Amino acid sequence: MTSPGALALATRGLRKSYGSRLALDGLDLSVPSGVVYGFLGPNGAGKTTTMRLLTGLLHPDAGSIELLGRPFTRGDRRRLFEVGALVESPSFYPYLSGRANLQALAADGASVPKGRIEELLELVGLHERARDKVSGYSLGMKQRLGIAGALLSDPKLLLLDEPANGLDPAGIVAMRETLRHLAASGKTVFVSSHLLAEVQVLADVIGIVARGKLVREGPLATLLTDQGVVRVRVARTEAEGARAALARLGAVEAGATGSQPDAGAEQWLTVHVEPTRAAEVNRALAEAGVYASGLESGTELELLFLELTGGEASSEGRMQGIGDPAAQGEGTK
Amino acid sequence: MRVFLSGLRKLIRRPASFVSVGLLVGLLGLILIAAATVGQGTARGSANARALITFPGAYDLILSFMFGLGGLVAVIYGAAVAGSEWSWGTLKTAVARGESRARYMLATFVAIMVMVAVGLALTFALGIGLAVLAANIAGISTAGVSDADTLQRLPAMAARGWFAVVEQAGLGFAIATLARSQLAGIGAGIAFYFGEGFASIFFPDIIKYMPFAVARASIDTGAQGGFGGGGGGAAPVALEPDTALLLVAAWLIGALLVTVLFTERAEITG
Repeated sequence: MTSPGALALATRGLRKSYGSRLALDGLDLSVPSGVVYGFLGPNGAGKTTTMRLLTGLLHPDAGSIELLGRPFTRGDRRRLFEVGALVESPSFYPYLSGRANLQALAADGASVPKGRIEELLELVGLHERARDKVSGYSLGMKQRLGIAGALLSDPKLLLLDEPANGLDPAGIVAMRETLRHLAASGKTVFVSSHLLAEVQVLADVIGIVARGKLVREGPLATLLTDQGVVRVRVARTEAEGARAALARLGAVEAGATGSQPDAGAEQWLTVHVEPTRAAEVNRALAEAGVYASGLESGTELELLFLELTGGEASSEGRMQGIGDPAAQGEGTK
Repeated sequence: MRVFLSGLRKLIRRPASFVSVGLLVGLLGLILIAAATVGQGTARGSANARALITFPGAYDLILSFMFGLGGLVAVIYGAAVAGSEWSWGTLKTAVARGESRARYMLATFVAIMVMVAVGLALTFALGIGLAVLAANIAGISTAGVSDADTLQRLPAMAARGWFAVVEQAGLGFAIATLARSQLAGIGAGIAFYFGEGFASIFFPDIIKYMPFAVARASIDTGAQGGFGGGGGGAAPVALEPDTALLLVAAWLIGALLVTVLFTERAEITG
């Protein structure tokens, strides 16, 4: 991990309850400066609560927050002057135009350089529609305006909650490029998202939260390399033979991910092995007289996510594979 | 200052601002034209109708209408402005930018105070024009428009009326803040407004100290059959105007304190 001095954002023992429901249970985040940090977690894991705490909308029951190397406490709202945020859905006055909304936002908090609003409208591609009322904007346009709002004061730290929501593919690509550019210029971008595939191509570092706790954090590339797996579905009666064949390949068995539960007479075996060796795995099984009814491989973030959170697979970022009998025999990723 | 100016710009463009003034002027216009129509004839009641649109008495009609129905409109307006900050999530965005919650809400309310003044001034000016038109329709002289005694009383009356209406806007503002919702705030504001008027029938000695009753009592327009009665009609027991004015100030300060304290402590979700 990065040394504490280089952290743009850190939380220590962050705890928050809503009545009897514990939303965060001692969250420890360490977000290095100048990176895009993907903040992941299943629904109800505490992502939005974390975002609200980081922006002063909620107050923690216990624990501490550091923003840009300095403590952020209840009475210290000025720390947010160097932070830009888009928390949950973008919020605007529907009867005002996009430009007027940014002007209204610019009057709050940190000062905004002259000309910045026009610059941002151009950046997010809303210059042509800047005079239109926000009530007539699509979700994607509101999202882009929200991102412009977060960038108003040229923040050093950007906190974005589901920034790709409602954006069309071109918008997602543009947003990704913008965020990458911001990180390259030394700013820190903290992105909470459920789009694992998007985070995989965007983030340098990720943190995965489950049940209010951080379950994994680190550079994405390292985590994924460690996580490369191949999964095979074999008959229960042939599982031992399969294990032996896989062991001969040097593949270490991993825990079940839970994304595809064992079914009846068959079971899934998951082994840590380079995903590019999936065909080799298939051949080794066949040579051992074990015929897999399903085989998946990948270094997908989703697999890591599911293994750590025990959640259900979503349609986004699902591993390519032949687990579906209809896809039997198709190649692996 | 920039938060206040921004708040003012937002309110100037807000449809609710136009609707509020439009509603007041429209209803006042209807009453004045109806009075002119009835006043033209010789039927029973025409003398009363003519009195309503005869200056300087017409001033009292306009003022009592403005400060009476205007109070209800102000409750709704204040509730709409505060409630929308929660419902639309714009307070959340401001707080996330590091803006002071208390300053934001107070600056927004000061902008409402200015808008109330502008709205009342517009209503008054247009009301005078409509009353002159009505008087002409009914064939009544408008010489009383320049009645010196009335004109001398007007500034003080306008100031008191504005303050009373602002207090009622403040109550709507506080109620919607507590409700954290535009619709709930408006609904609760209207319910309190009419509920207090209704309760004054049964508990006049208590209700005379309540916010809407003191607002009415602080505006002694001297109008006959005015419109300042609030939801349930005028309180049968009213405080002296000056005493009521002090209580208006107390209620307004109380409403703003509640707003600020609640907003400061609130956990902003959604």
